[in-house]
Formats: sequence, structure tokens, C-alpha cells
Amino acid sequence: MIRTEALTRRFGDRLAVDGLTLEVREGEILGLLGPNGAGKTTTVRMLACLLAPTSGRAWVGGHEVGREASAIRSTVGILTESPGFYKRLSLERNLRYFADLYGVSSPRAAARRYLERLGLWDRRTDAVATLSKGLRQRLALARALVHEPKVLFLDEPTAGLDPESARDVRRFIGELTSERRTVLLCTHNLPEAEELCDRIAVLRTRLIALDRPAALKERMSGGRVLVELGNPRPEFATGLHLPFVQRASLEGNTLTVEGANPDRDNPTLVRRLVEMGAEIRSVTRDERTLEDVYLSLMGRDDAAG
Amino acid sequence: MRRVRVLIAKEWEELRKIKMVIYGALFLPLLMGGLAGFMVWQGQGLPPEAQAALFNTALMYFLILPVMIPVTLAVYSIVGEKEQGTLEPLLATPLTDWEIFAGKALVAVLPSLVLTWGVFLLFLIAAHVILGGIPAGVLSVPWLLSIFVLSPLLAVFGVLVSMLVSSRTSDPRAAYQFSGLAVVPSLIPLIAYSIQMTAVNLLLVILEGGILVVLNGALLYLVVKLFRREEILTRWK
Repeated sequence: MIRTEALTRRFGDRLAVDGLTLEVREGEILGLLGPNGAGKTTTVRMLACLLAPTSGRAWVGGHEVGREASAIRSTVGILTESPGFYKRLSLERNLRYFADLYGVSSPRAAARRYLERLGLWDRRTDAVATLSKGLRQRLALARALVHEPKVLFLDEPTAGLDPESARDVRRFIGELTSERRTVLLCTHNLPEAEELCDRIAVLRTRLIALDRPAALKERMSGGRVLVELGNPRPEFATGLHLPFVQRASLEGNTLTVEGANPDRDNPTLVRRLVEMGAEIRSVTRDERTLEDVYLSLMGRDDAAG
Repeated sequence: MRRVRVLIAKEWEELRKIKMVIYGALFLPLLMGGLAGFMVWQGQGLPPEAQAALFNTALMYFLILPVMIPVTLAVYSIVGEKEQGTLEPLLATPLTDWEIFAGKALVAVLPSLVLTWGVFLLFLIAAHVILGGIPAGVLSVPWLLSIFVLSPLLAVFGVLVSMLVSSRTSDPRAAYQFSGLAVVPSLIPLIAYSIQMTAVNLLLVILEGGILVVLNGALLYLVVKLFRREEILTRWK
């Protein structure tokens, strides 16, 4: 549904996006993660035909960016980083206006559908100026969807929201997958990316990593097993002598074994420790959070750069 | 044209909600109309030539009006969208640059013409009542051309200058400052008449009309040419 080939954008001497190549399948939610200035918003703007690429090519819904701007604009819905509204107009009027501009056959019905879906119908006649930030964000989602786009670009959809509003917005984004919509989600919020995204692209001007959240974490964990012992003794770390163990260390009651493939090697590891006289209380896989993965990727990129 | 109509309908609905804009838009025509009426009232009992001269001066108010009314609306057209944060969602719709400009320009031009012509009609009625008739030679071809051709051209000029400024300036205050330039062409005949270089005459009207047509064409080209979505999105903070 979205495809980019060496997509690049410069602003004067500054490289904002460098040779981005990726593909987003229909119905997939792809998270774009990266620090401020990593090129996430620029990428979205290029794909929404708001900015022209300096070089490279991209296709959205089968239409080529730069050549079929009008077709792309009709195909995509965009939630901008700070979505503004005509504050003196009502919620319904704001939505009807955008539905009309997109050529929706029944703007009133479309506005009603999304106001109801996002729990804003009771406030439909209120001026947007009276809405809280959370409700405005919901309205911004409604606006992005009012013309039933196949592709959605969501730029920091939960930024600055209270936890309850953020949860509501996330729940709604989650529901979109059942409608086969393709979503490109820019976010700083790592748990949010992990919860919502099928795959995550880590971006810092160029693409640093692209994979499923679980695969990214697994890649970074590299097989670490934590064994909690009732009788910790140094020889449990030094005397394991198992071929799959790369490193073992004891800290307090916890023995950390690196290099093991937990699914395959845990029974052998447990058997060996029992033979050595260890009292094992628990054995767990050391799960890295997405934050660990992200920070590690950024650190590596710093070192490489 | 459908999207232009949609844009205009929304803009007017929004403007109707801003009471100060309504009052401001009504105040100026009423003030100018009142001043023009006062001028004619002073002409009671004067010879017809003197009354006609007063009418000529009063006409100038109706040339300034169509420029002054839409400037405030037009200057806010682009910079206002940016200020509200609605420009990016608007540019993301299938609206073309031409549609945006046509819609924004008409929103400003149409009410100013309606108000100018409406107040002009009231002025004529008042003059008729005050003087017991309109002096001969006042509703001449140059007069009517001034009101019905020069006024729209001046209004379009004012709107185009304001929109050009609005799309190139990121700060509303700077936009208002620069858009004051839009009033200059309407002052040319006023200056000419007030220093009694000439009276309302066909040559001057045609000359100014011709210059305005050329200027408006050039401005329209510039406005669309210089409207760069990218710059507006990335440079305006």
C-alpha cells in the first residue's frame, strides 16, 4: 500500500530523510520511531504530497508521489502533529467541511458516523474552542477518517494527552486494523508503538531498523536467562561449562546466563544447576523492553556516526 | 467550482461568528456613506456645478471602500489558517492552489462589493431627498464606470495584494502592515481630484481601469506562482 525507494529530502544543507526504502502492506500498522528531527514528519509529509522528495520515489495506494498528488490526497487521511480546527465552528461543521472538500457524497452522514464512533455526537453543536485537548484529538482522528481513506498518517496522535484520553485514542487506532486500513504511525511513545504496531521502523534520518516489535526485542536480548537461586554460590556462575553459555554472572540471588536459547537450552541449564546443588526458585527469559532496544539502536547509531 | 463554493460557504459561516468582523465590515461603509452624505448635505442651496463638485469628491469614498473592506478579510486568509493550525489539513485535501485562492479572494471581494454598492444606493437615495434630485452630470458614464467597474477592480487589487502578503508573511501583524499598500491605487484619483488637477472624467477612469487590469493580472500570476505549500509548511513556525 505504501512503498518508498531511496526516498530523500534535504532542506538546504540539512539532510532530513536519507534514502528511505520501506514497504507497508495493506492493513498493516507501521510505527515510525525516532528522536525529534529524525525525519518522521518529513516522511509523512512527503507521502501525503505536502512536500516533494529531493530524490527517490514513493507510491501510496498505487499512485506515485509527485505525479499523482490529487489521487494520493484523496486516498490518505492525515492527523497532523498539532491538529488545528476552525474553533468558532461546531464539531459537526468542521467535519462536514472537510468531508465536502474530499467530495464525500453525504458529508452530513459521514460526519455523524465518525462523531458517534468517537463519542463526540453529544457535543456536535459545540464550538471546537470549548473542547479539551483529548476531545480535539478525537475530532482530529474523525477528520482524518471522514472521507474513508485507505491510508492513514498519524503523527504523534497521543502526544500531550492525559492517560485516559491517550488510551481511548490508542483503542480507536487499534480498531482500525479490522477495517483493513493501512496506518503509518509516528510516535515517541514506545509502549504505544509496541501495543499498536505490526512492525516498527526506527528512523534517524535514515532507516536504522525495521521489524516486528517482538523480533526487535529478541534480536537485542540475544538469549539471556535469569535464574533466581535459593543458595547463590560463585561456582554456579564459574562452573557451568555448557557449550551454549557465553557468559554467566551472579549478582545477589540472580544468576544471569547469556548466550542461551531459552526454548532449547533451559532444560539442560536447569539440569546442570541442579546437579551442582543449586536450589532454583525461578527461571525466566530476560525480556528487553522496546525502550531498551530503541536506546541501544540509537547508541549504536551514535557510535557508528 | 464545487470545492470553491464549499470553501466560501465555510469562510462566511466562520466570519459571521466573529462579531468584530461584522461590526468592522459594517462600520466602515456606514462611516464613509455618512461622510459622503454629509458632504452632499452641505451642498444644499449651492449652484448645480458646486453640488456636482461635492458629488465628485463624495465618489472617492466609494472607491476607497471596496479596497478597505476586504483587506482585513483577505490578509488573514492564509496566515489565519496557519495560525489556527488548519493550513496543513487544508493543504492535504485535494484542493488546488487556484481553488484555494479563488475561494479566499471571493470571500473577501463579494461582501465588499455588496456593501459598497448597497451604501452607494443609500447615498443616492439620501442625496435625492436632501437636494430634491441628483445634479445633472453626476450619474454620468465615468461615474457609473467608477462605481461598477473601478470598484470591483480595486477590490480585486486590494484582495490580491493582501493575499500575496498573507501567503508570504508568517506573522499576521506584518501582514496587516504590508497590506496597507493595497489602498494606494484608490487614492490616486482622490489625490488628483482633491488638488483639482481634474474632475471625474472618462479618460482617467479608463486609464486607471486599464492599469488595474494589468496589475491584477500580474498580481494573480504572482500570487499563485509564489504560493509555495512547502515553504508555508516548513518555514512558518
